[in-house]
Amino acid sequence: MGSPGSLRISQVGLRGIVGSGLTAAHVLDFSAAFGTFLGAPGKVVLGRDPRASGRMMREGVIGGLLACGHDVVDLGIVPTPVIQHSIRRLDAAGGISIGASHNSADWNALKFFGARGTYLSTSESSELLDIYHLKKFRFLDWTGVGKLQFDTGAIDSYIDDLAAVFDIPALKGFTILVDCTNGTSSLILRRLADRFGMRFILINESPEDRAFAHEPATNQRMVKMQLAPLMAHVRADAGFLFDIDSDRVAIATERGEAVSEEMVMVLLADEWLARGPGKIVIANLSTTALLEEVAARHGGRVERVPVGRQAAIDALAGYRPETIAIAGEGTGAVMLPAFRFVYDGIASMLGVLEAIRRRGASLSSTLSSYPPYSILKGEVPLESHRIPQMMHELERRYSQGRRNTADGLRVDFNGSWFHVRVSQTEPIVRVICEQRGDPPQALFNELMEFVRSYNS
Amino acid sequence: MSRVHQLKISVSGIRGVVGEFLTPNLAAAFAQAFGTYVGPGRVVLGRDTRATGEMLEHAVSCGLLAAGCEVVKVGVLPTPTVQVYVAETSARGGISITASHNPPEYNALKLFNRQGLFFNQYERTELLDLYHQSEFRQAPNGAIQRVATDTETPMKRHLDRVLAHVDVERIRARRFRVALDGVNGAGSVMSQAFLRDLLGCELHAISVDPTQPFPREAEPRAEVLDGLRQLTLDTGADIAFAQDPDGDRLAVGDETGRIFDNDDVLALAVECALSRRPGPVVVNLTTSAAIEQIAARHGCEVFRAPVGEANVVERMQAVGAVIGGEGSNGGIIYPAVQYCRDSYMGMAFLLDRMAQDGLKASELAAQLPTFFRSLGKMPYQHGRLGQMMQSLEAAFPGARTDRSDGLKLLLEDGWIHLRASNTEPLVRIAAEARTAARLNELLAVASSLN
Repeated sequence: MGSPGSLRISQVGLRGIVGSGLTAAHVLDFSAAFGTFLGAPGKVVLGRDPRASGRMMREGVIGGLLACGHDVVDLGIVPTPVIQHSIRRLDAAGGISIGASHNSADWNALKFFGARGTYLSTSESSELLDIYHLKKFRFLDWTGVGKLQFDTGAIDSYIDDLAAVFDIPALKGFTILVDCTNGTSSLILRRLADRFGMRFILINESPEDRAFAHEPATNQRMVKMQLAPLMAHVRADAGFLFDIDSDRVAIATERGEAVSEEMVMVLLADEWLARGPGKIVIANLSTTALLEEVAARHGGRVERVPVGRQAAIDALAGYRPETIAIAGEGTGAVMLPAFRFVYDGIASMLGVLEAIRRRGASLSSTLSSYPPYSILKGEVPLESHRIPQMMHELERRYSQGRRNTADGLRVDFNGSWFHVRVSQTEPIVRVICEQRGDPPQALFNELMEFVRSYNS
Repeated sequence: MSRVHQLKISVSGIRGVVGEFLTPNLAAAFAQAFGTYVGPGRVVLGRDTRATGEMLEHAVSCGLLAAGCEVVKVGVLPTPTVQVYVAETSARGGISITASHNPPEYNALKLFNRQGLFFNQYERTELLDLYHQSEFRQAPNGAIQRVATDTETPMKRHLDRVLAHVDVERIRARRFRVALDGVNGAGSVMSQAFLRDLLGCELHAISVDPTQPFPREAEPRAEVLDGLRQLTLDTGADIAFAQDPDGDRLAVGDETGRIFDNDDVLALAVECALSRRPGPVVVNLTTSAAIEQIAARHGCEVFRAPVGEANVVERMQAVGAVIGGEGSNGGIIYPAVQYCRDSYMGMAFLLDRMAQDGLKASELAAQLPTFFRSLGKMPYQHGRLGQMMQSLEAAFPGARTDRSDGLKLLLEDGWIHLRASNTEPLVRIAAEARTAARLNELLAVASSLN
């Protein structure tokens, strides 16, 4: 039982290795807490990714929610963005996604959404956690328990709304290679092909319950290993790699280049600022500074927020929705408000395809039109009690740059920047360094050495 | 209501008022203990029609999957049907989500071993220890099994077994007119198919909509069966049947609208069974002495067991009984079908007997020995039962005693039985005598106890 790091309960929800950290009891308690948090009985939308443990968790979530008087609308195995979409469509009180996204198959997680189909804010999830810890749930008696319902139209309704924002029939000319990583994306992609004649070549297509073809990470390394080598063989115009619940995506060019995960957001920001000049880009402090350069071309600006989904969700609440062009992070998780304020890998894919279609250029030439930026990333394990002193000293040393201390320390110089922060999930310090042009190797080495000096 | 009674976790399983007391969390944990106990393999899951059944079905299913079991959902079905299915499909065990005859705010888990039998006392104790230790089997992703469903075959498996023991053509030829009160329970659909389609009866049924709540008290006592009585008279039915929500208990009425004592229903079933094949009979301590008289007609022996289906079944297995039951609460156990209380076998026996003898239901009952019976109850208080037992024994010096379940005094012309309920915070007092006058004497003594 309970090996270290196999269970994490936080404002982001419940996540763990099923059987050795995450148990049925956690699932029941958390779903009962969510049912209690939502208050007056209403509809709750439920979906899951294909992991075998999702079958167990689904049963527990349904039990907990029905006991609190909510009717559960079960969508079955669907991408997370479809669950979020259905919450609005069905006028539901909230939703739960069962799935561990980019974690390996032995993990699973619960993610919670409110009535707008967006992740809970930090104050909402704090309340949920308090209810969870108190374990005083509002169960109703036999006259009040909810009923289970099913909905099979979720994917087509979602696609209808995608088609209202993206000119999908115009993308028919592309041949697109997609690595579905045995997750949920094929469920959407096959329908896009059927309905609009899009041409996909799908690999690792079938949703799998026990093991995925490879680690479900949406980054440049994975694209280079899994997707990029196939591009030239199938003569695809673009390649996409999805995580299991299809909320993020990574890309490969028609020439078989694995693209930096930072560039998904850059491409989409450029496209959506062109459509809405002067709007705001919301990005985390660790995402490339190329965003500022792109935003400036369109008279827009970048607002930097701490790393993590929760910070982005909270930040968005403070802006008028129509002023935002795009929000996201350099991990391939991007929201396009023109569609929805939801991390959505499918919408991101359509956005990238529209961008190259509008330019009439290939993906590789589109990407090479941007000035080169080089980013270096490293990590150092560190005992928690040494961290404040290290950060304080770091700030003193680099006092000549523009400082941002919203999440660790980010310092911007002319043409380069660094960000040193503590991971939210592990006791390690992350060091990120970027420079326009060549890699900032000297600065990176200096920072790594400095952080390591506290590790003794 | 007693503070201890709204939730009871005991060797009988888990049972309580759903919501504040019986929660999905408890149900899932108990199911995971069950799954850990029976081991990875198939576990059959059924339920009655209670509003909380669907919710608990999912919670129980979660616990079973987490323990690495494959779940076979059979949906809304009578408890005996679930038990037959467990036995026939070589499952590791089964769970019925039902509070049987208890009111709708209650629910409970009935637990079955791989033979489809209630857990014996050793199994029950081991399971309860496992639950309290909370060290459940935690299946990782690679060991979590699927949820299968089978709503097609369970009914047929059960009813085929029942019909093998009666002359179906003889019953069909009579085209009996039957009145049925299904209490909107788990048997609502199946009983219609059984009586109308399989046994060719002209069926007049009330309360056979499984989507609706119980329209009357769940336990089919004569006092709550006015609707059935009226239906019998209005339709001129030959016989009337009433079930409880999970279809294990059966009440029977004759063509005049009179509802039989449960003891008489059991006595009729024992008569039917022993006519087919003589052998030992097992009934609980509170069942009528009529059973001994009927068994004696066939030269058969009667064994007594403490109250509770599991106790009766254990004794039946030990002595190789051909039939058994609990007269006090309307349960007929016919092991050739399955070791469980089964309202379907009861209905089949009575129709078959009427077809064979050409007698009316009232005439069948008239052949039974006459006894006068009373079942009383009073609130349970700690220490009270022992004092009452002492007073009772002192009031009847020289009576034969049986202390295997409370105290039963066996007198020349009757008996009196005092015990604590297994399921409710009650002391139950039952008495029986050959004459009404003697019964009143016994009850007078009983009511003076405190």
